[in-house]
Amino acid sequence: MSQEYQVLAGPEGYLPPAAAVMGVELPKTGEALVEGSLVSDNEALHKIADKLLSAKNPFFFPGPLLLWAWKAGVAERAQAVRDLADAVGAGVIPMPDYRPKYPMINPAIEINPNHPNLTIWHNKIDVCVFVGVHCHYANIALKIIRGGTSCYTIALCGEAGHEDAMISLRDVNLAKIQELTAIVMDKKRQIAGGGK
Amino acid sequence: MQKVVSPEHLFFEAPREQVFITGSEAVREAVRRANVDMAISYPITPQSESMHLVGDIFKEGYIREYFRGENEFAVMSAVAGASMGGVRVFTATGGPGTLRAFELFSTWSGARLPIVCAFMTRGVNSPLTIQPDTIEMSYLLDTGMIMLHAENAQDLYDYLLKAFPIAEQTEVHIPVGVFADGFFVTHTRENVKVAPVDIKLPPYNAYSAPVPVMDMENVPFRQMRDPFVMKSNYVSYAAHASWQQEVMAAAERARPSISSYLGGLLEVENADADILIITSGTAVSIAREAVAQAKQEGLNVGLVKIKCIRPFPTEEIRALTKNAKAVIVPEFNRVGWLAKEIKSIIPDNDKVVGAPRVFGGMTMPTQSILAEIRRCQA
Amino acid sequence: MTKNILKMSPAFADIIPAEYRELVDNGPYGRDVGVAELGTFKELLEEHPLCAGCGLALALRIFLASLPAPEDTIVVGSTGCSSLVFPQAAVQNIHSLFGNQNSVASGLKRALKLRFPDKDKDVIVVAGDGATADIGLDMVMHSWFRRENITTIMLDNEAYANTGGQESGMSQQGTVLYMAPKGKNFPKISMPELAREAGCVYVAVGTPAQPRKLEKMLKRAIILARHVGPTYVQIMTPCPTNYKFKNNETVNRLKGLEKDGVFKPREYITAEAQEALNRLEEVSK
Repeated sequence: MSQEYQVLAGPEGYLPPAAAVMGVELPKTGEALVEGSLVSDNEALHKIADKLLSAKNPFFFPGPLLLWAWKAGVAERAQAVRDLADAVGAGVIPMPDYRPKYPMINPAIEINPNHPNLTIWHNKIDVCVFVGVHCHYANIALKIIRGGTSCYTIALCGEAGHEDAMISLRDVNLAKIQELTAIVMDKKRQIAGGGK
Repeated sequence: MQKVVSPEHLFFEAPREQVFITGSEAVREAVRRANVDMAISYPITPQSESMHLVGDIFKEGYIREYFRGENEFAVMSAVAGASMGGVRVFTATGGPGTLRAFELFSTWSGARLPIVCAFMTRGVNSPLTIQPDTIEMSYLLDTGMIMLHAENAQDLYDYLLKAFPIAEQTEVHIPVGVFADGFFVTHTRENVKVAPVDIKLPPYNAYSAPVPVMDMENVPFRQMRDPFVMKSNYVSYAAHASWQQEVMAAAERARPSISSYLGGLLEVENADADILIITSGTAVSIAREAVAQAKQEGLNVGLVKIKCIRPFPTEEIRALTKNAKAVIVPEFNRVGWLAKEIKSIIPDNDKVVGAPRVFGGMTMPTQSILAEIRRCQA
Repeated sequence: MTKNILKMSPAFADIIPAEYRELVDNGPYGRDVGVAELGTFKELLEEHPLCAGCGLALALRIFLASLPAPEDTIVVGSTGCSSLVFPQAAVQNIHSLFGNQNSVASGLKRALKLRFPDKDKDVIVVAGDGATADIGLDMVMHSWFRRENITTIMLDNEAYANTGGQESGMSQQGTVLYMAPKGKNFPKISMPELAREAGCVYVAVGTPAQPRKLEKMLKRAIILARHVGPTYVQIMTPCPTNYKFKNNETVNRLKGLEKDGVFKPREYITAEAQEALNRLEEVSK
């Protein structure tokens, strides 16, 4: 089994494998995944900021775990994610639930894990961020995106992370989102100032 | 009153007391410490006693809910409903019961349910038999569940208890079947080391599941388990395919925790020998005795005990068998599913000897393994 | 009181699609609305793929409007036409397999009792006649024998409709359907009477041609399942596709079947359930 399997932007082809089956392992605490390789959490944060800021049309896809203030702390995390998207200048399209809506979906205003490619194609999204989506549905969607689109996928996961995203953080909480926003702001200032 | 402790403390740090118990009693002792919310039972030989004993600890207050269902298909369905409702559930079956319930096992995996089920393996009809046989494991290989195979009552206790934290990890969250050879393990008595009775696993955290819990207390409130992706179009097929891949990926993600809790997916004695015996379950105990007898004859034989059948220790077996001249795979079934598995992953698989195979309740004399060893040595 | 699962995170309130916003702002959750108010609130059913004139579609619309507490309801379904509706309905719904619905519901209800001992979580089984009276009959009846606190609703279209129109145990004797090429040769199963004998504390046979009456039956069944024991409602839901009548004739057909004595609405209630009902209906007055 190849240890060198890279999780890169697609289209990878007809029914690409789950990265886990190709030997990509999830990060341990303090680590993250970038394109199938383990890196430090900090390195991944910078990589995410670079990807988002160099994107033509980045979008955030908040899922139900963030869209609904169903338990304590969610509204605050949702606000932090919105602030991050605003800092990037990214668009936001919600994933309100997981039941397939094809062919009735309006891809301009929502994304669905069973056919995420429709929303990505419709809006010409080149970098996307999954956040607040239940892990099972995020993985289903991430594989479909990698198989059929050229979109670069980033997963901000509150649990163990996602091998099927090109960049994946784990254990993401409010502080982590705020840290990422600060890095984005900092990089923006550097770009505005001509860089170093 | 039991105190909640970390899995690591329960498994590795807490002092262990040695008790002389049957495999069925080992099930009781594992479940007693597993913080199980609900257990659902149905009788079938040789499993029945284990679920009687689980009933006893329900009466003692170690489990919060317990009942007897009407057949195995119904029990496995009720277990699925309970698991979707966000509780930790346990059940057990075996042989014909496994086959009666079969449709549920792949459904559990597909629905990402971390159910722990003990299988006390038994032959299947016809003609009627109640005797030990591992043929049901062959049928279950591709249901998506994690499969651990106990050699003895100690393994059964350990694997069952460890199955819960393995199954319930967010990134895994699929069922774990713990298999023990009926009668040989369930109805015999041996020394088993168990953790103190006053400690137990942490409770199941339903809201870390990779899928929503069906309680109308978590989001999305508009949720079907599981959503239909069965319309006749490419989009639906692709979604279903990706779903199935995700279930396979979930089993792969269990490797690190299985490895750390069980001390590897397999265990090796005398790995450098020219002749290796690779097997699982009670055949390991017999093979170990055969290896000792072979040694007295001056024959150098190694033994590989496979603890985890799914996910399969593919890389480990490839590495171990690389230099072996012969690989002997004794099994308690007529189809030789383990030999087939091993043959399918190594390049020079004509060195795999799928023998001895015993079934129908026959025992496996050490002589039958020794005969294969001598044949390979010649 | 609005539950938290229905509260939008303020940061994303502007992007929540309209259908959700309507459910939150004007849905039936936590409100005393029912069949009489249909048309004045956002219904739980967004859209559905059932055939035009389907008796199930009408019955399910009434069912969803009749739920006493949709915000605490989980529907357990089974394979068949009825299950095609629930991916579009705004209640949590389980589809497991064909026929195992009452077993799944038994496990679910007991789990929710453990986790929420102080709340009423309504676990309601909605399945077709094939799922209820044929393939799942033993599990349906055993859930009643065990006195599970669940409501079982059969949508009776007298055939396996989703698989193309085969005979079911609920088809009328003599009816020619697939797998009964010479006509069904045994009578319709007496499920309501079986339910009564098997331990259901309340049994009702209703029709979507009488929506208010059906609503009352459904509400009673769901409330009594919470407090007393298992309940069963059988709803006659003719199938224009497989019985080959015009799709604007469904309600007339229902009325005709009743007039001809082929379809007989009825109710059974135990003394204990009646007493509980009197008490509960007194309280709600």
